[in-house]
Amino acid sequence: MTDAAPGPTQPTEGRAGPDVQVEAAFTCRGLTLGYGDHVVVRDLDLEFPEKRITAIIGPSGCGKSTLVRTLNRMNDFIPSFTKAGTCLYRGVELYDPSLDPVLLRRQVGMVFQKPNPFPKTILQNVTWGPMINGYTGDLRELAVESLQKAALWGEVAARLDQPALSLSGGQQQRLCIARTLAMQPDVILMDEPCSSLDPVSTSRIEELMDSLRERYTIVIVTHNMQQAARISDLTAFLEGGDLVEFGDTDQIFTRPLYKRTEDYVTGRFG
Amino acid sequence: MTSLGLGDNAHLFQANLEQRRRRSARFRRACSAFTWLGVGTLFVLLGQILYQGAAWLGWDFLTSFASRFPSRAGIFAALVGTLWLIVTTAAISIPVGVAAAIYLEEYAPRTRLTRFLELNISNLAGVPSIVYGLLGLAVFVRWLSLERSVISGALTMSVLILPVIVTAAREALRAVPPSLRDAALGVGATRWQCTWHHVIPQALPGILTGVILAISRVFGETAPLLVIGLPIFVSRTPSGLGDSFTVLPLQIYNWTQRPNHEFQNLAAAGIIVLLVVLLLTNLVAVVLRQRTETES
Ligand SMILES: Nc1ncnc2c1ncn2[C@@H]1O[C@H](COP(=O)(O)OP(=O)(O)O)[C@@H](O)[C@H]1O
Ligand SMILES: [Mg+2]
Repeated sequence: MTDAAPGPTQPTEGRAGPDVQVEAAFTCRGLTLGYGDHVVVRDLDLEFPEKRITAIIGPSGCGKSTLVRTLNRMNDFIPSFTKAGTCLYRGVELYDPSLDPVLLRRQVGMVFQKPNPFPKTILQNVTWGPMINGYTGDLRELAVESLQKAALWGEVAARLDQPALSLSGGQQQRLCIARTLAMQPDVILMDEPCSSLDPVSTSRIEELMDSLRERYTIVIVTHNMQQAARISDLTAFLEGGDLVEFGDTDQIFTRPLYKRTEDYVTGRFG
Repeated sequence: MTSLGLGDNAHLFQANLEQRRRRSARFRRACSAFTWLGVGTLFVLLGQILYQGAAWLGWDFLTSFASRFPSRAGIFAALVGTLWLIVTTAAISIPVGVAAAIYLEEYAPRTRLTRFLELNISNLAGVPSIVYGLLGLAVFVRWLSLERSVISGALTMSVLILPVIVTAAREALRAVPPSLRDAALGVGATRWQCTWHHVIPQALPGILTGVILAISRVFGETAPLLVIGLPIFVSRTPSGLGDSFTVLPLQIYNWTQRPNHEFQNLAAAGIIVLLVVLLLTNLVAVVLRQRTETES
């Protein structure tokens, strides 16, 4: 992307771009999001690079979920949702009428805050998405492969036909990740995927994300500073509807450019 | 009283346990008394009816047509007519009601028009059933010239119970957690796939409960069918939707109007038949609902 040079009206804060030079999966320009008259995210300029883990951090209610749910158009189902500015996915405007959101969500998968497996069997959870999207290969093979990638196979191999809701919370969340991987997505959006899990399950999911790092573009919202520092390549810090700072995770956590960022990542805020 | 080591501020709490416990017990006794009052009244009524009608029950009673002579009168036409009415009404009202609920819950934009519609639907559930009878008479019997037939009765009954079905089905759909919709839409499902594969199965037990309640109402409704002008003496069972018919509550009502004491007993026997049919239908529905519940 060549239009990274800030114009004269750019705010003074918030545009210390990361060092890495890779293609962007998403490019947001002047993106403003809200509900009705209530603006949640203001004039956001941000790129999510390909095959990297980008963490979004910030206090509750700053619009992190609103932002990631925009990236696969899950906000379409909220009537009051409003959007201005542009957000490109591989160069295509997300809200272009020619782009089918169903197709977009096939390629930009999502893992939610609370594990939400379908009330079906473990196997059906993984195969349902590919099935309804007309997958022509062997569904069972695909499911096994996805469960292996999600580091769940060993635990469920013998009980594929049992209800998914009989799994523990951590296992359910890995099942949801397997379900997303089975769609062979480009991007995986994760909205606080560990916030309802115990520390052991959390570290298993972090290991899993580490193993997915090379192959997928991952955007993760997290409240856990250590988690962002451990697993992400880049970090974006949102506060009060603004992107305060965006850069390499190392830099954000060790040499933040702004006092607001430093206060937040060191836990001195409010 | 033994001290549980409540700490230094224990004296700030006036536990008053004795009185609270007494109140608790009194409340429990009151609730159970009212329960038994209701159930007891029901049993007295049932006992009375059984006592009156049991002797008149029999194969002949079930398989004979109406007659001027109590000893020869039976309930066959009304029984078959009720079954025709129930099946036809269910076939009309369930698809229409559930589809309307799905539209309102899943698709309809929140405009003033849909809110007006919603308000009307809940109000319609409270309209006296005789009004639906007048509507059925004017629209189905006269205007559409469907005569006093099974289809007229079923359409009238459908209009009567649609608000109940729509309201119950909407509640059931609304109770489906949004996270389930997120899950389905998030793997690239269309709205239809999400609704058909996940939302409806999840809501099915609730929808069925509403359907059971609504259909039970059809068994007992008399007023609208009286207004439509269904005949009491029918010497044939219907063989199609366009045929004339009568129903159990009408037959029972007719018998209770007779001065002859024996007809009162026939009415009691008819009530027993009505209750048994109602019970059997509900049993089927409950089993169906349990099956859908354990499946998911
Ligand atoms: N469906 C909605 N309708 C209206 N307002 C919403 C909706 N969802 C979120 N909001 C509001 O938008 C703001 C940002 O919410 P969210 O994106 O969920 O924040 P975060 O994920 O950072 O905690 C909050 O003030 C919240 O109240
Ligand atoms: Mg959130």
